[in-house]
Amino acid sequence: MGDTCSDRAVEVRGLTRTFGVRRALDDVTFDLPRGSFLSIFGPNGAGKTTLVKVLTTLMSPSKGSARVCGLDVVADAVELRERIGLISHNPLLYPDLSAEENLLFFAEMYGIDDPVGRVRELLLSVELDHRRLDLVRTFSRGMLQRLSIARSLLHKPDVLFLDEPYSGLDPHAVEIFDSLIAQIREDHTFVMISHDLTKGLELCSHALILARGKVVLSAPRLEIDEDEFVATYRATVGTGVA
Amino acid sequence: MAEASVRTRGRSLAWRQFKAILRKDIVMELRTKEMVTSMGIYALLTMVIYQIALSQAGTAFDPRDIAAGLLWLAFVFTSMLGLNRSLVHEKDQGCLEALLLSPVDRPVIFFAKAVGNVIFLLIVQVFTIPVFAFLFLQQSAYGGDLWMIPVALVGGALGIAGVGTLLATMSVNTKGKDVVLAVLFIPLMYPLLLACVSATTAAVLGGDGYVQQFWSAMGIIAAYDAIMIAAAYALYEFVIGA
Amino acid sequence: MKQLKVGLVLLAIGGILTTTAFFMAFFTAEVQRFGTVTLSERIQTAFPLQDETEAGFAYGRPWFSQKIFYFHVPVGLASFLVFGAAAYFSIRFLMTRRREYDTKSRVGMETTLMFVVLTMITGVLWTRAAWSVWWQWEPRLTTYFIMTLLIIGYFVLRNSIEDEELRAVYSAAFASIAFINAPISYAVTRLIPSNHPVVPKSEMAVSNLVPFLIAIAGMLMVGFAIYTIRMSEERLSERVGVLKEALES
Repeated sequence: MGDTCSDRAVEVRGLTRTFGVRRALDDVTFDLPRGSFLSIFGPNGAGKTTLVKVLTTLMSPSKGSARVCGLDVVADAVELRERIGLISHNPLLYPDLSAEENLLFFAEMYGIDDPVGRVRELLLSVELDHRRLDLVRTFSRGMLQRLSIARSLLHKPDVLFLDEPYSGLDPHAVEIFDSLIAQIREDHTFVMISHDLTKGLELCSHALILARGKVVLSAPRLEIDEDEFVATYRATVGTGVA
Repeated sequence: MAEASVRTRGRSLAWRQFKAILRKDIVMELRTKEMVTSMGIYALLTMVIYQIALSQAGTAFDPRDIAAGLLWLAFVFTSMLGLNRSLVHEKDQGCLEALLLSPVDRPVIFFAKAVGNVIFLLIVQVFTIPVFAFLFLQQSAYGGDLWMIPVALVGGALGIAGVGTLLATMSVNTKGKDVVLAVLFIPLMYPLLLACVSATTAAVLGGDGYVQQFWSAMGIIAAYDAIMIAAAYALYEFVIGA
Repeated sequence: MKQLKVGLVLLAIGGILTTTAFFMAFFTAEVQRFGTVTLSERIQTAFPLQDETEAGFAYGRPWFSQKIFYFHVPVGLASFLVFGAAAYFSIRFLMTRRREYDTKSRVGMETTLMFVVLTMITGVLWTRAAWSVWWQWEPRLTTYFIMTLLIIGYFVLRNSIEDEELRAVYSAAFASIAFINAPISYAVTRLIPSNHPVVPKSEMAVSNLVPFLIAIAGMLMVGFAIYTIRMSEERLSERVGVLKEALES
């Protein structure tokens, strides 16, 4: 097991992010045990993306604190970046580089030993080895998403963040994506933003609803009654505040 | 639980990352050849316009007098085309987010982008000067020491790239893009350009005390480069994370 | 409200001081020799004919040009100081990310713009009076013009970004680097020979010095007053914004 991640994968306390009058996050508090899968729901502008950005050290909080893998998102940001990965609805890949070049580049950024070997290993595991020399601009959406998964796993992160990963994927691509996630499910903690209520609930072990920067609901999956949840969710999305 | 990959850290990691970013930008540029060709064509077109502007000047007019000014004018405007080149790639596919997510120090990104810009600027200079000499300076003799010219070119290129990289990182995210870059860039460049033209003129024309003039201008260039690059380096962290 | 009152009081005092200095300049101060511009004798009317002097400069209206000095230098000095304050607030913003600093630096830059325009206008008038041309690409004038362009650039940058926070960060960064650039431009003018009149303080007669200092004090007060009044205006509109937000949610 080693020193990779503490028992609490994510610890958020009173997290607030404001700029002047605008409150993107307002006193958000929740915990997430290691190995869980958190689904975050909420209407547009609720602060979901902001929350993920703070947790991935891309933004810093105005008040409160957040710890991922026991590391503070502000004080230990550089160290934390080695432990987290992000899969977004954008592939975050350079279109004019080949698949292999893309992965090699990110491998260099993470300072990985034996980058060539590791890249090869990952390309095989996402079944893109046969296209490794092709420019990414020739890839389909599904292939981009698979390559994106490979990119995010290069440095063997403990926590993976998924920002609406299913958007734009056809059912076949969704299947492949799901199976890849299932393969790595056991060793990782996931935090996913999704607009797909069914999918999100299906995969998650914990759920969170945000609206206007505030936590509307935060509970483990087992404690959630599905119909009640759907009703709360609909109400939130409908009016902006439950 | 996944174990963290054994990887390099600290200074050697920064050097790896620097090389990786620089290499990526150069490879992408060589592959698409967008900016180099448009910069080259733009420089040529500028020469044509110069010819039109000088066409009424008469036979007694010695282009050597204003050669330095014309050259630096061409460099400044051509460089503005190329400065945001590497940043447009990052913004296009949102790759910048993936870059910021990795454990890279923001100043490393700054230096990698800036050095990339210096290289492309030097290429443009090396291309433009013979063309300019061929078109306008065939009858002229050179008064000063020719070795002084590359020194002035490099000094100027460093300042242009340093400040330009900072400004391009900002202007890429604005509505006005290139216009905003020009409006911000040219006033900041003024002291540097004044000194560069002075140094280059001393080198080309020679005349009384040209060595003195050259070295005092180079002193200004060196001071400008040192101060402004330090300022850009300090501010880059804030600008790229926003 | 209190801030607005303070601002208005300062404006009044500053205005009185500046006007006093002006009157003193015209009636009690003696005509004096400055730098390369030599005055042969005091001219009775404000707009005399052109004169050749031993310095070789053609100048007209020397008496008038010397009086502009009492307005031009104070506004010029004020513009640098306010620019410095705005840059300071910009750096504080980058360090703390608190919106109030962004507002302060923006208002500071607006005040700077006002003073910079005044300096340019009086400078152009002075050039016309002293050297009979409206403009010269003389180093110091040019670098001040560059500073004007930088301030305008600041507002161009602000207007081209919609997102509030991004706009604040970028304009703070630009204001900082623009301010660092100003002394460099100034130093460049020192190193390149100039026609700009230099006024060494020690040479100024007392009757000239007093109105000069009063004018500076007065103008700085006016500058600070304008800043304060604008800030109180901003604070009010911010409170309106907060109330609006509270009503909507």
